[in-house]
Parts: sequence; C-alpha cells; structure tokens
Amino acid sequence: MATDAQPAIAIRGVTKRFLSTLALDSVDLTIGRGEIHALVGENGAGKSTLIKILAGIYPPDAGEIVLDGRSLNPHLEPVPIAFVHQDLGLVDELSIGENVALVAGFPRRGGLISWKDVWEQTKRIYAGMAIDPPDPRAPVGSLSAAGKAILGVVRALSRDARIVVLDEPTASLPGPDALHLFEVLRRLRASGTSILYVSHRLNELFGLVDRVTVLRDGRNVSSGSIDGLTTETIVRDMLGRDLQVHHVTAATGREATPLLTVENLCAGNQGPLSFTVGKHEIVGLVGLRGAGHEIVGRAIFGANSHSAGTIRLAADVIPADLPISARIGKGIALLAGNRLVESTLGGMSVRENLFPNVHAVSGALLRPIDTGAELRAVRDELERFDVRPRSAAALIDWLSGGNQQKIFVGRWLATGAKLFIMEEPTAGVDIGAKGIIHRTLRKIADDGAAVLVISSDFEEVATLCDRALVMGRGKITSELTGSTLTLEGLLTRSSMAGGQSERVH
Amino acid sequence: MTETTFQHSTASPPRQAAPSGALSNLVATYGLLFVFALVMLVFGVLRPSSFFSAININTILVSQSVTAMLALAEMVPLATKQFDLSIGYHLGMAQVLAVGLQVNQGLGWPEAAALILLLSVIVGLSNGLLVSVFRIDSFIATMGTGTLLFGVTNFYSNGEQISGLNLSVSFTNLTQIVHGIPLPAVYVAIISLVLWIVTEYLPIGRNLYVIGANVRAAELTGINVRRHIIGAFIVSGLLSGFAGIVLGSILQTGTPSVGPEYLLPAFAATLLGATSIKLGRVNVIGTLLSVLLLAFSFSGVQQLGAPFYIQYFFNGGILIVAVGLSVYATRRRQRAATTTRSQKT
Ligand SMILES: Nc1ncnc2c1ncn2[C@@H]1O[C@H](COP(=O)(O)OP(=O)(O)OP(=O)(O)O)[C@@H](O)[C@H]1O
Ligand SMILES: [Mg+2]
Repeated sequence: MATDAQPAIAIRGVTKRFLSTLALDSVDLTIGRGEIHALVGENGAGKSTLIKILAGIYPPDAGEIVLDGRSLNPHLEPVPIAFVHQDLGLVDELSIGENVALVAGFPRRGGLISWKDVWEQTKRIYAGMAIDPPDPRAPVGSLSAAGKAILGVVRALSRDARIVVLDEPTASLPGPDALHLFEVLRRLRASGTSILYVSHRLNELFGLVDRVTVLRDGRNVSSGSIDGLTTETIVRDMLGRDLQVHHVTAATGREATPLLTVENLCAGNQGPLSFTVGKHEIVGLVGLRGAGHEIVGRAIFGANSHSAGTIRLAADVIPADLPISARIGKGIALLAGNRLVESTLGGMSVRENLFPNVHAVSGALLRPIDTGAELRAVRDELERFDVRPRSAAALIDWLSGGNQQKIFVGRWLATGAKLFIMEEPTAGVDIGAKGIIHRTLRKIADDGAAVLVISSDFEEVATLCDRALVMGRGKITSELTGSTLTLEGLLTRSSMAGGQSERVH
Repeated sequence: MTETTFQHSTASPPRQAAPSGALSNLVATYGLLFVFALVMLVFGVLRPSSFFSAININTILVSQSVTAMLALAEMVPLATKQFDLSIGYHLGMAQVLAVGLQVNQGLGWPEAAALILLLSVIVGLSNGLLVSVFRIDSFIATMGTGTLLFGVTNFYSNGEQISGLNLSVSFTNLTQIVHGIPLPAVYVAIISLVLWIVTEYLPIGRNLYVIGANVRAAELTGINVRRHIIGAFIVSGLLSGFAGIVLGSILQTGTPSVGPEYLLPAFAATLLGATSIKLGRVNVIGTLLSVLLLAFSFSGVQQLGAPFYIQYFFNGGILIVAVGLSVYATRRRQRAATTTRSQKT
C-alpha cells in the first residue's frame, strides 16, 4: 500500500500506568492514509488501552498523538475518529434507531427531533453497507450478540470519519457476517479511510490488512508490512516464543450415552428441534446471525422460556418452569455470550467474580465461606488460564477483555456441572488461552461431561467439536461429523440453511 | 523496533495488583478515620471540658444508636442497589406503637414488641414484593409505603402524643446505662457483628452484593434475586421496627411526628460509609464510622453554640457530600488511581 509521506495518524511514545501495571510503555504506532493496520498482542498487551487513549477515555501519562501533522490531546478535544469499542458501548434500553442517532446525530425538523427521519436514517445507513436493516424501533436488547456487533460497526461507520478504529469487531460475528464486514472495510480503504483493526483471529488478517503492529506487555515488538508474515511469525512476536500447539483430538468412534436429550423443543419462534448431546461429547451448534441457535441453549438453561417439547438430563425430565437455580443444582451450566451485560460484576473482585454464587455449589446460604479454600481455588483458576494479573483482590474492571473472559469460563467450570452450554467460550481470548480453554473443555468431556458449544467461530467448532449441528430458520438442517466437520463444510451448510434478518415483535 | 527485553516474564508474573488493591483500601479506610480524628481533635481543643465528658459521649451513643440501627437497616437493601425510604416512617410508627400498645391496650412490653416486629416483617415483605414482584421502582414503592405508615401512626395516635408516665420499669430499663455502657450501644454492637459476618463471610451476603453489581448476571448464576431482595427488605423492616422500640424506651412517650427526620442522617451515613473500608460498596464498618463521625461533628457544632436549625444545613450538606464522595470513589476506582502509585518501580 502506498502511504503518503505524512501518515494519517502517528502515536509516539505513549505511556500509561494503572496502579502498578504499566499498560503501555512508550508505544509508537503509525497508520498511513488508506491503510488497514492490524494491532495484535496477547490478552492484556495494551491494545484496548491504546484505543481508549485515542478515544480520550484515559489521558496518557506521556507521549503524543499527531493527526494530520497536528499534535492533539484526545482527552481534551474531540477527534475525528470513529470507534467500535470492545464492549460496543450500545445502550440496551434505547431503540436501534436511537443508538445509531447517538453517533450519527438526531435528524431534526424545525429544531425538534424528527422520529420518522431517525428511523429512516438507520435504514439508510444499513442499506448503504448492503445489510438488511432490523426494525429501527426495536430495543437494542432484543438483538442477538452478532446483531449488536453489526450495529456497533454500522453506527460507527455512519460518521464518515477518515480514521476508523475497531477493537475486536469479529469476536462474536459469524463467518459470513465477518466476510461482509471485511468487504465494507476494503471499500472504506479504497476511499482513503485509515483503519486500525484489533483481532485475535489472526487468520482473518491475511488478505485484509496492510500492516501489522505487535504489542507485548505494553511495548512495541514489531511493526511492518504483512507481506512475508505468517500466523506463526506473528504469534512468535506476540508471545516472545513459539506457541506449543497441542491438537485437541476429537474422541472418535466412542458410543456416547446421551446426557442431554431434546425432543421437539419450541422456543421463541424456533423449532421444533430434536437432538442429543452425549457424555464425553462436545457438540457444536452453529448458524448464521438470526438462525436462532442461541435461544436453544438458553431454553435448556431456563434463561429463556420454551413453549413446547421435552428436555431431559440423563433420565431426568427438566420441567419448563424449573428455575435457573434448580437447573444449576441438577448440573447445567450456561456461559452467557454477552460478557458485559450478563457476566461482569463491575466493582467486584476477581475472586467474587469467580465465585459469585457460593451457595449454588455448597448448597448452604448460611455456612461461612471457607476463605482459605476459596483463595486456593482462585489461585488455581488464575494459574490454569494464565490470567493476568494473578490477583484475587483485583477488581474485574481492571482486567483486559480476554482476561475477563477467562474468569467467566472458570466461574462455570468450577461448578462441576454435567452439562456445559458455552456461548462463545473463547470470545476475545488470545491464541494461547484459546488453546488452554479448548483443552480444558476436552478434559471435562473426557471426564464425563457433555459440552454444547454455541459459537460463531466456525474454525473453533471445526477443531474443537466431535459433532456440529447446523441451524437455519429455526430448524436443525444438517449434522456434520468426522471428516465432514470442516470450516468449509460449516460455512456452506450454514449459508444453505440461511439466517433471517433480525426482527422483533 | 527490534526485540525488546521481556521484563514481565510469563513464568513468574509480577504479583502486583493485590498489594496495590490492599493499599487503596487502606487509604480509603484511613480517609474516614482521619476525618474522624480531625473532628475529635478540633472540638476537643475548642471545648475540652464538655466534648469529652462521659455524659456527652453517652448522650451521643444513646441518641445515635437509633440512627445507627436505621443506617444498618438501610444498608441491607442498598447492598442490592434498592432504596428503602420507608425506614424513617417505620421507626416512627414502631415508636408510637411501642408506647401506645402498653399505655392504651395494656399489653406487656414483650407482647407489644412481638406485635411490632411482626408488623415490621409484614411491612418489609410488602416492600420486597412491590419491588421484586410488581417491579415498582424501590424509590417510589418505599416512599409510598412509608407515607402509608405515617398515616397509620397518625390514625392510631390521632396525631397526639401518647404519654408514657405509667410505662413499666422493665421497658424503660431496656435502654439504661449498665456499668457505664448504654444498652442501646450494645444492641448496635450485636446487630453490627451479625450483619458484618453475614455480609463478609456468608454466601447470602455475597449474593446481595452480586445482585447490586449486576442483576442479570446474578440471575444467570442461579441466585434467586427475588427472594434475596424480599429478604433484604424484611431485614430492613425488622431493624427499623426494633429501632422504634428502642426509641420508645428512650423517649418514654409516643410522638407521632418523630421518625421521618431520622431517614436523612441514616441514609447519609450509609452512603458515606460506602466511600471507605470497601470502596464504592456499602458496608457495616464504614456505616458505623460514618454515624459516629456525623454525630460527633454535629455535637461539636452544637457545643460551639450553633442554633438549632443548623442541623438541617448539616444533614442536607452531609448527604450531598456523601453522595458526591461515593461518586468520586467509584470514578477513582475505575480510573484505578493512576497517581497514587507512580513512585513504585
Ligand atoms: N482500568 C484499569 N485499571 C487497572 N488496570 C487496567 C485497567 N485497564 C486495563 N488495565 C490493565 O492494563 C493492561 C492492558 O489492558 P488492555 O485492556 O489494554 O489489554 P488488551 O490488549 O486490550 O487485551 P485483550 O486482548 O484481553 O482485550 C492489562 O494488564 C490490564 O489488566
Ligand atoms: Mg482489549
């Protein structure tokens, strides 16, 4: 990519310290005009911190940011940069149209907000990116995780900013939607927009980005053209060593006794669905955005109601009105996909976030918490998933997105459930930790648990699962196992099955 | 940009945030203690003879024990981020009934107390049901029930003071001074100890804070949110009722207008307490410390000859300062105190 003499944005020597953590240590980053620039690094490397400094959320301790040759301080003045933050920053209670207008502006007529134009604007912006618009009047809370990710991107791009920053936009985006996003980004690049792109899915960088900057422990490691780089060289820069690749081997040919049996389940407007997940088995449930596969796991856990059908755990029928606590008692676990809204206990410690409901495990509300044993368990979990910092007392808010995710995975593994429903188990997690989580899931399956993985990361499903069920339009349309369970297979089958544009009643 | 040295090695990650988290907690703890010490010092110097007299201290302990119980009552639902604005009216009703049931209905004090506490459970239960089952905002719901209770108080007393001249000695002895220690302070100590153990060491206490941090996440971890919120309001009601009985024994008359004015100081103390000990979180020790701080400052100001109406300025001002401080504490925690530790490494 030809870059002008003057870069679109230059970050020089930016340093940021939180308590005793040096999150950024004199970091440099230069993005040329019309360039897609990848920023990669392990969980906690400092990527989001750098982006938050650009957005003016934190003031830097040192360093400068130069835009078009002019040094400026984002903490004090507005910057012409569009952001998609890791947690998207959507307001769940407001409508989709209002969320778009918060960034794009509220259209007015005679000084008053014209609601008709607010709804129209949303449709126009979606259409401009060739994406089916959802009902702009529906609350954001009614969108699926992928739908929210799309909305976050769509509204940021509506600003026509010349610099766009995306922090892990594909973390919970199904393959086809991600491909669509890449198209949009390439079009923006062609029109001269500069893009900073953060992702842990390294494979998607090839063919998309022009340059790659690697951070490790808050420092620059390397920065240069992607030509000549491979996933391996990038990973080596990220970790400072080679990644040990342990292949998670699917247990083949084992006759699995069903632990979970779902018969003619109808939930929302999905179904009827029938399937089983056996002991020792990891089953993937995939679909395009709007395919309805998220609702299935939630109905089993009781977070969504279901209208018909039976759910059995071994021989035990789970009644439709059984509360979540009782289901957890029976050994069902659900890792919810929307980290910030459904898992994070803001302002509470890592320890409390790992063990929020002691009584669900111990069965006693009034037996004192065994502090020593709990702290040991916390230490083991932090060790197991390589969470940084290794501190039980740190607030969850101090952890990077990927490190928070590790905590929430650990939260459920610690319950010793029999059936684990994992939505996006490795969203936002770096390549090393992803391997650890996959191996851990394989281990609990080997030890007799049943695992249902609901993931938009088809690569993850292809490598981790024994079997995958593809859903479309509320039905299971195909089942892939063994040699048919590949990334390509999942992509074609789910595209054939189709999604549906998200609508809400 | 070539390879940089890899200081934070993966093999032995720096054990960092634990001590600094503890440090910021210590700083926060000492913040309130420091102000407390300062207040004692200033008034001790200005009014050395009267401020530290046993009588003054005991007067404060007795009168503030009721505020302390009410502040603790507020703390429990507030841990789940639900307000209880009915506690002041509840206190007033219990106080009038404590005297009235003995004087008018001729009940013995244990029967009267049992009846009041039963009523308190019912009030707490209704608050909890309104908030968690009917999903009425706690602010509105408890303001509503509180006003209803005020109506009950005035209906029962016909708006007139109930003289407690014939109250039994065993009732008035409930709040006497034994071996130099006022009994109400002992009650506060016992209640505090129980609540401290519950909030710090029992699963049920952690559940309350988890609900306060994120209701949806609490539900998804299997916490029965509804039951915990109802329970929190029942405890709040019970403590308010108990505080009313104690107040009845202290005042030895049933005064229908007494009660509502206790809400604000109790509320302020609870919120101020959340700025220390456990940053951004209501807690027993912070609450007690704040009650004492407010009481001693107020007493000191009074001894300097401030007019009676100063208390309104005092309470209103403190409430705003307390909320301001807790907002500041939360923000400071989120920004993770970038300045406090710049000297290390
Ligand atoms: N508000 C905060 N207070 C204290 N420490 C923080 C805070 N925000 C970030 N950190 C620390 O700064 C470091 C960098 O975090 P950052 O969120 O930038 O990582 P990241 O590269 O985005 O990681 P991820 O891939 O997991 O999202 C981490 O060690 C993190 O714990
Ligand atoms: Mg991040």
